[in-house]
Amino acid sequence: MPSLPKHTLKAYDAELDELRALVSQMGGLAQSLLEDAIAALLLRDSKRATQLIAADKAIDTLEIEIERLAVQTIALRAPMADDLREIIGALKISAILERIGDYAKNIAKRATVLAEMDQFQHMAILPEMSRLASGMIKDTLDAFVERDADKAAAVRDRDPQVDSLYNALFRELLTYMMENQRAITPSTHLLFIAKNIERIGDHATNAAEVVYFSATGNALEATREKKDRTAFATLDDWQSK
Amino acid sequence: MTHIAEASPVQSHDNTVPAGPTAKATARAVNVTYGNTRAVKNVDLDIFTDEVTALIGPSGCGKSTFLRCFNRMNDTIENARVSGDIRIDGEDIYGATINVVQLRARVGMVFQKPNPFPKSIYNNVAYGPRIHGLAAPGPDLDQVVEVSLQKAGLWDEVKDRLDQPGTTLSGGQQQRLCIARAIAVNPEVILMDEPCSALDPIATGKVEELIEELRGRFAIMIVTHSMQQAARVSQKTAFFNQGELIEYGPTADVFTKPKHEQTKDYIMGRYG
Repeated sequence: MPSLPKHTLKAYDAELDELRALVSQMGGLAQSLLEDAIAALLLRDSKRATQLIAADKAIDTLEIEIERLAVQTIALRAPMADDLREIIGALKISAILERIGDYAKNIAKRATVLAEMDQFQHMAILPEMSRLASGMIKDTLDAFVERDADKAAAVRDRDPQVDSLYNALFRELLTYMMENQRAITPSTHLLFIAKNIERIGDHATNAAEVVYFSATGNALEATREKKDRTAFATLDDWQSK
Repeated sequence: MTHIAEASPVQSHDNTVPAGPTAKATARAVNVTYGNTRAVKNVDLDIFTDEVTALIGPSGCGKSTFLRCFNRMNDTIENARVSGDIRIDGEDIYGATINVVQLRARVGMVFQKPNPFPKSIYNNVAYGPRIHGLAAPGPDLDQVVEVSLQKAGLWDEVKDRLDQPGTTLSGGQQQRLCIARAIAVNPEVILMDEPCSALDPIATGKVEELIEELRGRFAIMIVTHSMQQAARVSQKTAFFNQGELIEYGPTADVFTKPKHEQTKDYIMGRYG
């Protein structure tokens, strides 16, 4: 993407730079919260998970700061074209990141519960899902800062991988629960954790679409691949396998 | 001729060719030179009765010069030379049979600084209809004055002091008086050259509201330095730079996703 010339008003450039930096910082926090929550889960580190629950506040604070700066910039600078789309993009992305933060926080909460339970089934798929989703958040934020529409479009294409892993994990957990009633409680928590990551992938995808619009002024084509089939699953589907 | 709406076929310079089906006025291959300087370069543009067309661009880009081609105001500048083809309802306004005084009644103009005549409010508005013989003195002319002032949104403010000098009004009222004066002669096209640059925001708002009300009755072209004003009042925007028409399109598109880098940099206030 060609970089835009600077504004005649330097303070305007400074405000837009600050806005981008805040969004980037917020994305970084949401991404680490997800990664750290999964690490705490795998390490059964209840103390760390409890700290993480509180860490979500920093993300919420940044959202408020972004909202304030975006409104101020719109009011004072009357932004047009790319500038306007970027500011609106920052607002929308910050709302999405706030939601991602909530999902990550929920994973941390469940990690505190799971840490106290009997050894639950080791889930190799979870860290892989988390790694994918976290990479999607990172690349979306990079695409935003770099105004890189192609990079944003590529992020969206990765969501089906997260969905596929989620389907696999769903099936696996269902099997454990059918085999052993005592596995139901931890498995349900794990299922919610996986669902949270799957949702994070969806949100990262939405954010990537916002970045694409912000960079080009055009909406990314609506046809996107959905691989999460669990909404249509019945017990029979799994028993017959 | 890529920036012209498809509905308007390109005109040859043959007087028998009618204008496009909906365009009120058409400009084709318009050039204006001041001595050796080309101020407007090969511009094609259509304007429509149900739309306000805003001309924007940096100082010296040729937008006001282009605007003045439509009522032959450039004729009054000694070394200015206009070439190309400009038509209103298909009629070549630079044709040999055109009466320029009549033309300027058909194509009214409102200037940057309100310029009421040093006459009463009544006579400011009555002047045009009187010299063009559009209304007989007496109740007919009174009617024209009242209707024009009403259309200009000024009637209620001045109806009790029509005999006072136009110059006693506030700046915003003077500008609306000038608009009333322009519409009193039943023009078809109204040209506005930065009509609000000397007005405060409230007076500006009233003139902008008036422009919106006049849209549909007149084809309106407005030159403005305020991007926000262009965005507020116009349906089509034309961006000029260094005498060339760079981009022309629906205002909403031009201000949210302009096609040309030059337009983009200008409207965003970015200069390399």
